[in-house]
Amino acid sequence: MRAATTVPPTQHDSPETAGAHAPRPAGQPVVELRQIRKSFGDLEVLKGIDLEVHKGEHVVVFGPSGSGKSTVLRSINLLEPPTSGSLKVAGVEYGPGLPGESGVKKGKPLDLRRSVGMVFQSFNLFPHLTALENVCLPLRSVRGVKRDEAEQRSADALRRVGLLPRAAHFPGQLSGGQQQRVAIARALTLDPEVLLFDEPTSALDPELVGEVLSTMREVAELGMTMVIVTHELGFAREIGDLNVFMEDGVVVETGPRGFFDECHNPRTQKFISAVL
Amino acid sequence: MSLSSLPTAAAEYDWGIVWDNRSMLLNGLVTALEVSAVALIISMVFGMALALIRLGRAPFSWIAAIYINVFRGVPALVSVIWVYFGLALVLDISFSVFQAGVIALSLLYSAFLAEIFRSALNAIPKGQKEAGLALGMKPVRIFFSITLPQATKIALPNVGNMFIGMVKDTSTFTVIGLLEVVRVTQNLVAETFQPFVLYTAAAALYVFVAFVLDFLFRLAERTLDTPPNGALSRGLRGRKQRRIQALIDAQPSVRPSTAT
Ligand SMILES: Nc1ncnc2c1ncn2[C@@H]1O[C@H](COP(=O)(O)OP(=O)(O)O)[C@@H](O)[C@H]1O
Ligand SMILES: [Mg+2]
Repeated sequence: MRAATTVPPTQHDSPETAGAHAPRPAGQPVVELRQIRKSFGDLEVLKGIDLEVHKGEHVVVFGPSGSGKSTVLRSINLLEPPTSGSLKVAGVEYGPGLPGESGVKKGKPLDLRRSVGMVFQSFNLFPHLTALENVCLPLRSVRGVKRDEAEQRSADALRRVGLLPRAAHFPGQLSGGQQQRVAIARALTLDPEVLLFDEPTSALDPELVGEVLSTMREVAELGMTMVIVTHELGFAREIGDLNVFMEDGVVVETGPRGFFDECHNPRTQKFISAVL
Repeated sequence: MSLSSLPTAAAEYDWGIVWDNRSMLLNGLVTALEVSAVALIISMVFGMALALIRLGRAPFSWIAAIYINVFRGVPALVSVIWVYFGLALVLDISFSVFQAGVIALSLLYSAFLAEIFRSALNAIPKGQKEAGLALGMKPVRIFFSITLPQATKIALPNVGNMFIGMVKDTSTFTVIGLLEVVRVTQNLVAETFQPFVLYTAAAALYVFVAFVLDFLFRLAERTLDTPPNGALSRGLRGRKQRRIQALIDAQPSVRPSTAT
């Protein structure tokens, strides 16, 4: 199989996956990419990506560096608008659309970004604001929450990631792991439909990876819909309801839980054995 | 300094006239500072606008680039003559010498500040704006809450240098009769025939102002340090920090999700 959309949900109900693994949910996906293409000048970096993300699902995207993983995530919130193809979030079209479907009413990028959260590899906290203010700023300016309530909710969010005692610290006073946990709190507080993670632990010293992964695990347990680009295949194996292997701008292979032991494509197998 | 130790010609130097005319000289200095301060505020607004246009779309960015490159090169003396005698004629308005001085400085220093702001804006990592966009913030809000505060901190020392330059440039406005330091000095020289003493005093005033301004801008820069650095910075932001501390203290510090 090459694309998530071409696989009917029932196919996962085959005897070897039923029971142990939940079938892929039916119904309207939270995120739906169809034939997404993206070029930078002459260089085509996404060559027709199909992907469906359902409510509560944890999708792992992995593959060699330069294969287009970040670009896929960044096209989901239109930080990189696709050159062509359809991008639907909660049923609303935000992309250029498919050839036969022109004339579909398009949503505004601002509305899209208000329902999609993102956690960056380099955290991207605002260095001139305290941890609390980092969480508070979007809550006030995007959701229009009043100051007292926004501060209260920001404090709650920091407590959830275990960083309330650091609320008055500035990003420069926090470790990388702590900064990333604040970034997760900042994204979570806006209550997104889906949370995108672009290699959230790649910029961290090895001893700080664990704390960020365990925060992500807790977010997953809350039922958050997540798309995670990561090289932490151990974590991916544990959390991925749907696993997507990318190479050279195409989805090579996708699979459900257990994928890391059952993948068929030799390129996927080669990559996994090289990383694990 | 004792006068007897100087060469005989120096015995004619009458340093007392500086003190006798201190109020005139200081009034001149205040005028120079007023013109410069008003022009600084105008130049910061226009300079930021120019910087944003310069960083923006093609036909407009060229126009901004041309303006910047022309006006950075124009001497203040020429600028004020254009404004006071030329622009006034073209627009059929008569400017006061104060207004003409402010406009002349603003024309030049908008260009200088545009370049300072442009490099400050460029120094902010792309990820900052992207984070704001990804959070669903509007571009205007991103600019005022994320980009501008960080750019201000970067630009501040250079803005201070520009302000010192503006104060010195007001000395050329003697040509339109603005009663700034040099004009006052010229008037006193005409009365007392003590050019060396009076111009040295004038120079001392400029140097003194440069020292003070440098100190003030350093202080302002430090108030923007993160974490707060120094008593002033901590004092200014103390209330905010105490609010946050109250929130920390009000909440149970254990993580409920890990307790189970
Ligand atoms: N803004 C850009 N301009 C030009 N090329 C880009 C840009 N962003 C990414 N690319 C190129 O697109 C390809 C895919 O990049 P990316 O999505 O970052 O890969 P990955 O995240 O899998 O490492 C790479 O070849 C990269 O050089
Ligand atoms: Mg990447």
